[in-house]
Amino acid sequence: MRKSFIMAAAAAAIAFTAPAFATEMVFTSWGGTTQDAQKAAWADKFTAETKINVLQDGPTDYGKIKAMVESGNVNWDVVDVEGDYAVQAGNKGMLEKLDFKVIDKSKLDPRFVTDYSVGSFYYSFIIGFNADAVGAEGPKTWADLFDTTKFPGKRTFYKWSAPGVIEAALLADGVTPDKLYPLDLDRAFKKLDTIKKDIIWWSGGAQSQQLLASAEAPYGMFWNGRLTALKATGVNVGESWEQNITAADALVVPKSAKNRDLAMKFIALATSAQGQADMATATGYAPVNTQSGQLMDAALRKTLPDQQGASQVNADMRYWAEHRDEIGERWYAWQAK
Amino acid sequence: MSVMTSTTSFAPELRQRRRPSGFAYIAPALLLIALFFIVPIASLLLRSVLEPTPGLSNYAELFGSWTYVRIFANTFLVSALVTLLSVIIGFPVAWLLAIIPNRWGSVLFAIILLSMWTNLLARTYAWMVLLQRTGVINKTLINLGLIDQPLVMVNNLTGVTIGMTYIMLPFIILPLRGVIKDIEPGILQAAALCGATKWQCLWGVLIPLALPGIASGALMVFVMSLGYFVTPALLGGTANMMVAEMIAQFVQSLVNWGMGGAAALVLLVVTLLLYAIQLRLFGVGRIGQEGQ
Repeated sequence: MRKSFIMAAAAAAIAFTAPAFATEMVFTSWGGTTQDAQKAAWADKFTAETKINVLQDGPTDYGKIKAMVESGNVNWDVVDVEGDYAVQAGNKGMLEKLDFKVIDKSKLDPRFVTDYSVGSFYYSFIIGFNADAVGAEGPKTWADLFDTTKFPGKRTFYKWSAPGVIEAALLADGVTPDKLYPLDLDRAFKKLDTIKKDIIWWSGGAQSQQLLASAEAPYGMFWNGRLTALKATGVNVGESWEQNITAADALVVPKSAKNRDLAMKFIALATSAQGQADMATATGYAPVNTQSGQLMDAALRKTLPDQQGASQVNADMRYWAEHRDEIGERWYAWQAK
Repeated sequence: MSVMTSTTSFAPELRQRRRPSGFAYIAPALLLIALFFIVPIASLLLRSVLEPTPGLSNYAELFGSWTYVRIFANTFLVSALVTLLSVIIGFPVAWLLAIIPNRWGSVLFAIILLSMWTNLLARTYAWMVLLQRTGVINKTLINLGLIDQPLVMVNNLTGVTIGMTYIMLPFIILPLRGVIKDIEPGILQAAALCGATKWQCLWGVLIPLALPGIASGALMVFVMSLGYFVTPALLGGTANMMVAEMIAQFVQSLVNWGMGGAAALVLLVVTLLLYAIQLRLFGVGRIGQEGQ
């Protein structure tokens, strides 16, 4: 009896590890409306073309990536991560080098390309307000958003340590965009201290939408695509693109991913002109492929972050990658104070 | 009801553990726990003294920073508050459950169990909707003219305490009910006949007799609260962070497993210490006991 159990277990183990003819791969992202769009624009098309089933998993978890890579049992093939994490993880040997014979990077926005990652979509942090709650004249600039006399009440900001909020604080304090980096953290936290008790933190896109729609926080800093989605549901949202802060998510392949070759093909499709155009149309985020614009509806295209260049501030992903740990520790310590 | 029966049989089985034959039956469970719980935990805890460099640097950082010490202190504060409220609210409910006729008892019981079985996230979000500034409670109070400004009941200590107390209540009501049910009703009658007032009956007779149940329920609630994650993360603000959330941040966002392991070990040691105190005071037979 014991023997047959062992045999069965061994057979099961072999069945699970057999690498041979993959019929499926795993794509991991952050869930919600963004991942739905990625599934429709990329995964479903990939399946139609290759007959490879793309399983959706999530949310992205850097701890899990580390655990998988260290144990050598990597279940995620393509992962949507934050741009600064992609740079850092690549340098730490957590990621596969991308195969640019498969992925055509000549048409991709070079700001978002490294040896280990390409842009996934590109977004802006913008100012949003609930026009039903505060009227049509909402906060226009980061300085407005930090001004509790002019705009009293709660405001919402992104909870995690990532490019965005620190930049907004410095811009609100009068730092000019060309002087943002290296970030003056002391100054940023001092500015943030002035509104700390009025901040409600959002930890995910859906929560940011809920806070704004319910006017629990009638204004705040949002991913532009989430406001687009919220407007589509009929909420009276006002927004300001003044000094919008851009950052990009990145697509990466964890080291020793089981379906490395499929992953490269998947990324090739995802970053193709059509893949990026479909994704941008669905989400209101901008494409990282410079050829996508002409494939899109002209009116819609005007609303995307890449058409707001005049007052745009680029978050410096390389700076963030280098200082990610240091900023993160200070950030969370400050939040918990 | 299965919850009850399984805990009822717990104590007698433990008394039989000296018989060698019994060990074979629990071997699969032990193996499972060893493989999927003890080994991973041990490897995470090992990292706390090995990463980034061998030594106690992670612990030095953990205890050397006011931020982390405050987070631990806040965790104990919240757990203590939740435990206290759970005992105060849970005791009358357990008492009622123990003495009302079975028919009504099972209805009440079903309500309590049903709340336990509902998805935790759904319940926590429900509290968010109820408690927030523009939520049902605030709107009602404002419409009734009882308050002018909305009460701040979420993203702070109040929100965490309310949400967690609600979730923890069944864990104190169920064991307490069993203990109270076991108390011979004649004892209370005798006390009353001898001239004890209602308060004397309660404080001098019922509560002392129910004390082991209160203690084991309170310990369970306290220990569960120490490691709680979802509710504090959603209903609390960043200023009320609890240890579990801090560990998650170390493990998932900062990918600093050394610090994560160190914080986890401190939490584990505290929990085991509390458990040891409980054993010392009330003995193994009483832990989680429902009564025979």
